[in-house]
Amino acid sequence: MNDRWTLAALTGVGLSLAPMQAATAQVPPATEALVRATAQPATGLALARRQIAAGDLTLAMATLERVILAQPEAGEARLLHAGLLCRLDDRQGSLVELDVLRGRDFPPALWREATEPCEADRVPPRTGE
Amino acid sequence: MTLPVFAPRPVAAACLAIGMTLSLAAAAFGLAAPAVVGTVAAVLNEVRIKALGMGQLRPAAIRQRLALGDQVQTGARSHMQALLLDRSAFTVGPNSRLTIDRFVYDPSGGSFSATVAKGALRFISGGRGGAGGRSIATPVATIGIRGTIVDAVVGENAIAIARGEREVGASAGGDPATASLIVLRGPGPRAQGEVTPGAITVTAAGRSIDLDRPMQAVYVPGPGAAPIGPFELSLPGQARINDLILPPVAARPTETMPYPQPPSSDRYRRRYPPPGLIDGPDQPARGPDVANPRIPIIIPEEHDQAPGGGNDDPPVD
Repeated sequence: MNDRWTLAALTGVGLSLAPMQAATAQVPPATEALVRATAQPATGLALARRQIAAGDLTLAMATLERVILAQPEAGEARLLHAGLLCRLDDRQGSLVELDVLRGRDFPPALWREATEPCEADRVPPRTGE
Repeated sequence: MTLPVFAPRPVAAACLAIGMTLSLAAAAFGLAAPAVVGTVAAVLNEVRIKALGMGQLRPAAIRQRLALGDQVQTGARSHMQALLLDRSAFTVGPNSRLTIDRFVYDPSGGSFSATVAKGALRFISGGRGGAGGRSIATPVATIGIRGTIVDAVVGENAIAIARGEREVGASAGGDPATASLIVLRGPGPRAQGEVTPGAITVTAAGRSIDLDRPMQAVYVPGPGAAPIGPFELSLPGQARINDLILPPVAARPTETMPYPQPPSSDRYRRRYPPPGLIDGPDQPARGPDVANPRIPIIIPEEHDQAPGGGNDDPPVD
């Protein structure tokens, strides 16, 4: 008899908590992993490079923006972001971001990685000045 | 089965009655907790969330669930990114207010509608593009999205940036609370990878304008005003929007660079000064592009990591 009333009590508690269930629903683990990976610039950059290599360019853009928000001075993320815009055919946007980054200390290989996607369209550097 | 806990009859009856009442009331009045639509993916400085039907704004934290109807607000010098279940993302700039009004989850590209009441944001379509209907509303325009990246600025900054555009004009008007500037960022037709070119349709005052190339923009000055555009956003205009959506890059000296100067567009360098935020009276517009005077943008100069802002997560994976 007591079991029956205990079950009734638990059912009541469960019903009262039911409306809250949706709020605690799980975000897909893959989405959680995307967020966790960008907590640190190094893992975020690695994720973005994997996404670029896989052709998931818009996902890579969102990834790099998370890295930049986590660390606004993450120059490598900003450089990769600028290069990614070029891959997405936003060449003016890429130019704007590269211009802001000019003057920072980046290894040449990193610059090449960022600027090669727009190599064909780039205005050649001046000579003789 | 024997349960370890026994409830006296009156207590159990009360629990059952209360539970049923709450559950029925929630169903009857739509009080059930809204569905989760995504998660807070990045936080910089002051970001707060007000749940649907709740009066209080609470500080946002990374990996906090975002539910339908949640209102996200960013403070000065503050940014956030919301990652939706279909991996679409909103990157939100300072002094912004965003609400996800509708969301239907589909791993290949869900459908949703969102509202940006003020501020600046960038929407980045998740994955390789879905077919679901997606739209973003500003106070004066609706943006129909077809697998794309789009920037939207609402308020005084929209007016300031639009006035720097030749096609809008420095004397153009605008409602400081609702004026909206909308820019398609891509992907363009020459995008690499398995990316579908994006497009948007901006509708305001009964008129619709299609944008299908990166940097095409539309400006809507205010309620009932006809949209102006499409026009190609200038490089300074884009620089200003970038500085609203992402934290501005701090200026760095160039004299001591150990590496060679990277290749650059000197044409752009000559025409425009490096993108800054505010020019003082002793810094007149430089270069030949007098139609694009540098216009102050209402954003801060520096960013501080908020204590406990949620960016101190340990590395995972």
